[in-house]
Amino acid sequence: MTDFLNLILEPLQEVFLKFQDFLPNLLAMLVILLLGILLAKLLRFILVKFLHAIEFDNWSDRMGFTALMRKGDLWVKPSAVIGGVVFWILVIVTLMAGLGALNVAAIDTLVAQFFNYLPRVFSAAIILAVGYLFTSFISRAVLIAVANGGYHYARLLAEAMRVLLMLMILAMVMEQLQIATGIVLAAFSILFGGIVIALAIAFGVGGIDTARRIVEQQFAEEEAPKPPDDIEHL
Amino acid sequence: MSDFFQSGIITTLHQLGQPSLERLESELAGFAKTRPIALVLPALYSEFEGPAMPGIVQELTKVKYLNEVVLALDQATEEQFQRVRGIMSVIPTEVKIVHNKGKRIAEVYETLTRNGLDAGPQGKGRSAWLSYGYVLARGKSDVIALHDCDIITYSRTLLARLCYPIASPTLNYVFCKGYYSRVTDKMNGRVTRLLVTPLVRSLQQLTGEHGFLTFLDSFRYPLAGEFSMSTELARINRIPSDWGLEVGSLAEVYRNYSPHRVCQVDIAATYEHKHQQLSAEDAQKGLMKMAVDICKSIFRTLASDGVVFSESMFRSLSVTYLRQAEDTLLKYESDAKINALDFDRHEEAKAVEAFTRAIAMAAQAFLENPMGTPLIPNWNRVSAAIPGIFDMLRKAVDEDNK
Repeated sequence: MTDFLNLILEPLQEVFLKFQDFLPNLLAMLVILLLGILLAKLLRFILVKFLHAIEFDNWSDRMGFTALMRKGDLWVKPSAVIGGVVFWILVIVTLMAGLGALNVAAIDTLVAQFFNYLPRVFSAAIILAVGYLFTSFISRAVLIAVANGGYHYARLLAEAMRVLLMLMILAMVMEQLQIATGIVLAAFSILFGGIVIALAIAFGVGGIDTARRIVEQQFAEEEAPKPPDDIEHL
Repeated sequence: MSDFFQSGIITTLHQLGQPSLERLESELAGFAKTRPIALVLPALYSEFEGPAMPGIVQELTKVKYLNEVVLALDQATEEQFQRVRGIMSVIPTEVKIVHNKGKRIAEVYETLTRNGLDAGPQGKGRSAWLSYGYVLARGKSDVIALHDCDIITYSRTLLARLCYPIASPTLNYVFCKGYYSRVTDKMNGRVTRLLVTPLVRSLQQLTGEHGFLTFLDSFRYPLAGEFSMSTELARINRIPSDWGLEVGSLAEVYRNYSPHRVCQVDIAATYEHKHQQLSAEDAQKGLMKMAVDICKSIFRTLASDGVVFSESMFRSLSVTYLRQAEDTLLKYESDAKINALDFDRHEEAKAVEAFTRAIAMAAQAFLENPMGTPLIPNWNRVSAAIPGIFDMLRKAVDEDNK
């Protein structure tokens, strides 16, 4: 009877001892998580206040970021979005740090992979933000230049330029994030290359006569004899 | 039947004989192919629960020439908004509802406010202005018609006659105001009869000939809430957000266009809508509030055009107005007698006394703050300050209507 009881109690005791060993780690994780969330909330509060102070929302309205958010059916202030993004990044980082405190080998690997991936996420975000600004600038410049040139398709051309540049930037972002790199690269090459070839053919075929005329005019000017100099020099 | 007399500096389009509605609508359908027409309806949810809005919706189901209907819905919860969508769905034209209390539209207002472009408090002015913005954002219409949503005697003739002068490519008008007789068994329209007309004529007596006063005096019903205009005008006109909406809008039309491009049209033989209480003792509500806002709007428009106002001038104005209003009152009494209409002379005299106080209050407010509440900025300025505002507005309304 005692042996039977031992058979039952020993595994339970072992589990209890393991749990006793694990408990400090779990408590450490919970404390890290709690402190991290509190810190994230505080940082979000300070960041949002700071963004309000520098009138970030107004700047976003003028730069078109707000319109971009609305296109994605996101109806909050841009500063609140930035605050929210920072908050959740901090929560995720805290969660990873907390999981690291558990000292479980499998989780440790996952945490290491996460922290290794973070720089890529940051650089992708920077590429996206700078790329968007650059695209808006180029598109606006094209619109103004073509409209001032008196062409009625200025808006169409500016929009086409914006779409093409955004495609290129998205491909760069995906490549940076290492998401289906091969497919993205191939798709981008095919699409971008296709557009360029289509434009080249369109302009090339359409401009054959013009090109011929220019070349012929050039040769004609070179071959034409110079008129005699009628001016009498003193 | 109306007479054909042309008065004032704008064109008056009378209802002469019995013009066929079918002919009007058929011509409008033709015009709408090159000049598509949008109908803007600023409405409160409560108007859907009364007799007016169901009648208007019923009539609109028969209208075929409209390109789009934009209903600016105020004071409605999400549930009420969905109910209104159901009610409006019987109209064959594409209907979009601007849910003013909705999350998305609230965010659009918030975006405007933080950029120093305040759209003012909730009201008809703000609703109408945002609806014009939506029509401009869609870019699918060249003509905008607007009428109130509390008209109990609504018929689609009103809409057809209102749209015709602007939609017609052969008539060169950019703004058309509706007019009608406000007569049931008695004469209504006290603010127009006993305040605006006598006040304008008193000011003409005091300041001499003035373009804006002549322009304002040319309208048979300057406070009518029904008008049509080109979308170009909707883009450049600013709008007051208070009761000075109608007079202030006319001031903007006067400022931006020649009177030759402005007309008024007889749109209804009878017109009945909800009546406001006079509220003679409280200038914060009823007709008194309306009267004060209208007077302030007229004073500010004239001041911005170089007219100098002083305390002594306002003292003279009170006396001049009182004499003008009393004379006008006598004329209406005679008119009522010959037409066997009820005419409570005592009530009318009390209204004149109340309006005299309203003029004094408006004068005081003007002297204390000549600038007053700024007008809602025009859409050209708004789109210059926030380049993506049209996309934002279109997205907000379209998403709400999905």
